[in-house]
Amino acid sequence: MLAAGDVEMVVFTVEIALLGTALNLVPGTAAALFLARYRGPGKGAIETVLSLPLVLPPTAVGILLLRALARRGLLGTLLGDLGIEIVFTWKAVLLATMVMSFPLLVRSARTAFEEVDPRLVGIARTLGCGPARAFFRVTLPLAWRGILAGSVLAFSRALGEFGATVMVAGNIPGRTQTLPLAIFHYNQIGRDDRALALVGVTVVLAFVALWSAELVSRRRSGRTTA
Amino acid sequence: MIAFAVELRLARFDLRAEARLEGGVTAIMGPSGSGKTSLLEVLAGLRRGARGRVAIGGEVVLDTERGVRLPPERRRVGYVPQDAALLPHLTALRNVRFGARGDRARVDSAIETLELAPLLERYPLSLSGGEKQRVALARALASDPRLLLLDEPLAALDVALRERILPYLLRIRDEWRVPALYVTHNVGEAVALADRVLLLRDGAVEALGAPLDLLAMPVLAEAAAAGIENLLQGRVSSHDEAGGVTRVVLDGGAEVAIPLARERLVGTPVVLAVRAEDVLVTTGAIAGLSARNVLPARVLSLERTGPDVTLRCATDGGTPPWLVRLTPAAVAALGLHPGATVSLAVKSHSVRVV
Amino acid sequence: MRGMNAGIRAIALALALLLPGRAVAEEVVIFAAASLTDALREIGKGYEATSRNHLIFNFGASNDLARQIRAGAPADIFFSADLAQMEGLEREGLVRRADRLDVLSNRLSAIVPVGSTLDIRGPRDLLAVKYLALASPEAVPAGVYAKTYFESIGLWDDIRAKVVPTLDVRATLAAVEGGHADAGIVYRTDAALSKRVRTAFDVPRDQGPPIVYPLAPLAASKRGEAARAVVRYLIGREAIAVYDRFGFLVILGK
Repeated sequence: MLAAGDVEMVVFTVEIALLGTALNLVPGTAAALFLARYRGPGKGAIETVLSLPLVLPPTAVGILLLRALARRGLLGTLLGDLGIEIVFTWKAVLLATMVMSFPLLVRSARTAFEEVDPRLVGIARTLGCGPARAFFRVTLPLAWRGILAGSVLAFSRALGEFGATVMVAGNIPGRTQTLPLAIFHYNQIGRDDRALALVGVTVVLAFVALWSAELVSRRRSGRTTA
Repeated sequence: MIAFAVELRLARFDLRAEARLEGGVTAIMGPSGSGKTSLLEVLAGLRRGARGRVAIGGEVVLDTERGVRLPPERRRVGYVPQDAALLPHLTALRNVRFGARGDRARVDSAIETLELAPLLERYPLSLSGGEKQRVALARALASDPRLLLLDEPLAALDVALRERILPYLLRIRDEWRVPALYVTHNVGEAVALADRVLLLRDGAVEALGAPLDLLAMPVLAEAAAAGIENLLQGRVSSHDEAGGVTRVVLDGGAEVAIPLARERLVGTPVVLAVRAEDVLVTTGAIAGLSARNVLPARVLSLERTGPDVTLRCATDGGTPPWLVRLTPAAVAALGLHPGATVSLAVKSHSVRVV
Repeated sequence: MRGMNAGIRAIALALALLLPGRAVAEEVVIFAAASLTDALREIGKGYEATSRNHLIFNFGASNDLARQIRAGAPADIFFSADLAQMEGLEREGLVRRADRLDVLSNRLSAIVPVGSTLDIRGPRDLLAVKYLALASPEAVPAGVYAKTYFESIGLWDDIRAKVVPTLDVRATLAAVEGGHADAGIVYRTDAALSKRVRTAFDVPRDQGPPIVYPLAPLAASKRGEAARAVVRYLIGREAIAVYDRFGFLVILGK
């Protein structure tokens, strides 16, 4: 059914997607909180920059990353001096998936935060909570479902990331080839049977991700949904 | 004791309010949109643009000139907004405990005062309006506040419900003795609960004085025209089956007869309400009167309230003065004046158990 | 009398429109290997100067082009960089064996970025390289040739870990030009075109695998006549001169 190296490749893809989503969680939540609360100057510009990977074609983002990270690029020379290589390694795969899935997480989390009644936070403050405690005891418990939904969305996006990844990490079997890249590759070399087997795996993964999120969400609902 | 002199830019005008209030309950009244809620929010520390000076219990919590601005969590103010604002993801019990900092005794005391025991494990979604308000009140009390800010806590409730909560507010006032600012449109509430009334109009303090003194002001008189009730606290002393009455001993010692209410057990506390319009006044001796309740009294003051006259009469030692509403013709006919000795008569049917 | 003239004119016009061939301008679609890009564009300009027909090119990796043809892409002519792809289409009846012509050959070259300080003079020197760009060695002709070459000298097992596969040979060229790979294997004809790479060494003809570029019209083409005319031009005198100039080896008729 699945070729020899394909199982490792699937595991690699899932690991990268999980790691990327986990690493995006804190900065993504922070960015979402910032966008939900901040009302000062420059907010529109920041919003736009954070949404770019969502709106630009993945290949466009891929090229920008490549130019920045390549050996002669902006960051490439700095990283090269430190002995860090990113292009054509798993780190590039991680980076590409993180960049492309970040805005999805931010978007969902931001909506979740905006839906928390600010008066509830105010009440918590009068009851003795500083801003941080109010966030953890009121805002977060009321918004976690939206953040979870955003994480699942980001994870699915990470699983399926192609355009930016292929540009900055290449499609190197055993090293940077992920599930979507492998499907493309098998199709290119005329092995549609293998490609379709991998499509089946993708469907199963997506199903598992959505279903477990639904389970977690439902187990604790029914009390706070109005 | 609370003193403030604050300024806040609002949509239609600027809030510029100043007052010194010694303990007890201050009712904050005034037309809609005059800044009452904003004033509470400023005192609670929830309005960032507020300028001026606020001192609570002697501690300065806001002083723009000296750069002092205590955040809400350090002010020890209990805020109860109009819609209770319970935290939906916590049970009633956890809501009450939220600001209590582990003080079990206070929490239990608040739960007892507001009679929340059967509600503790329920979530706000399943509570009625009145139950939510009680939880919100308990929550504020449990946090050991120096000042209570109640923003029309009974406004969202229907009349019957309002009356059921009123006794709890009385209990809070008398047993907990936390200074409170109480925003309301309802003159009856103000008269029943407050030591003084602060009248706010277009963001400024228009008047500050005893509730009855302010009743004469047109803005309150209209509200008062809707009816004022005397609220009397006491305990059930006995049931008279044959006579069809239940006797209640008021806190001051006087006895009042109400229609038979067997379900009220002897010894339980009750709150009775008598409308000011339902009280009869007589200057002579009483004989052959059907009313079961006759109380000797002395007239303390008379005030014009719209087309009527409202009398304040002292009865026995501990009961608050009775309010009686008469037509000017009646006052003239009886020659009533401050100091006059009278008897107040009330049918048992005119006494309502709240 | 005038009515009859008009009638005759109408019939003549109708006949002219209905007759096939040279009276109507055709669009002929050519799927060709990426390495033929520059040569064929020039040849195409020459053809269009002599004919009413218009040429549309689709350049890419020959395996990808074959895949598209199998999926039903409307190509009229296929010019592949290796026999495997063409024979695959023949087996499926998409190309008639009799129509196929083996036209060109080529050689492999190892290239490095023009400013590279690496000293690479022979295949074993490539072992010092970190990333070696190749068109995907599993199916793209240029990559398959390169892999065959390395296998023949016993170097493939050691070098395969360094391989960065690209979509076609021009992508390999771009990777080396951009400095993303330290070195790459392309056709000699590609190396000659870029100023941003230099040739480290050429693979001698007797050491490299046999490279053949077959050309054929597609059986399912709806513009059979025009396709054949274009094929004839592609092996004509003017075309041969262009292939020669770009560095291809012409093997037609040998």
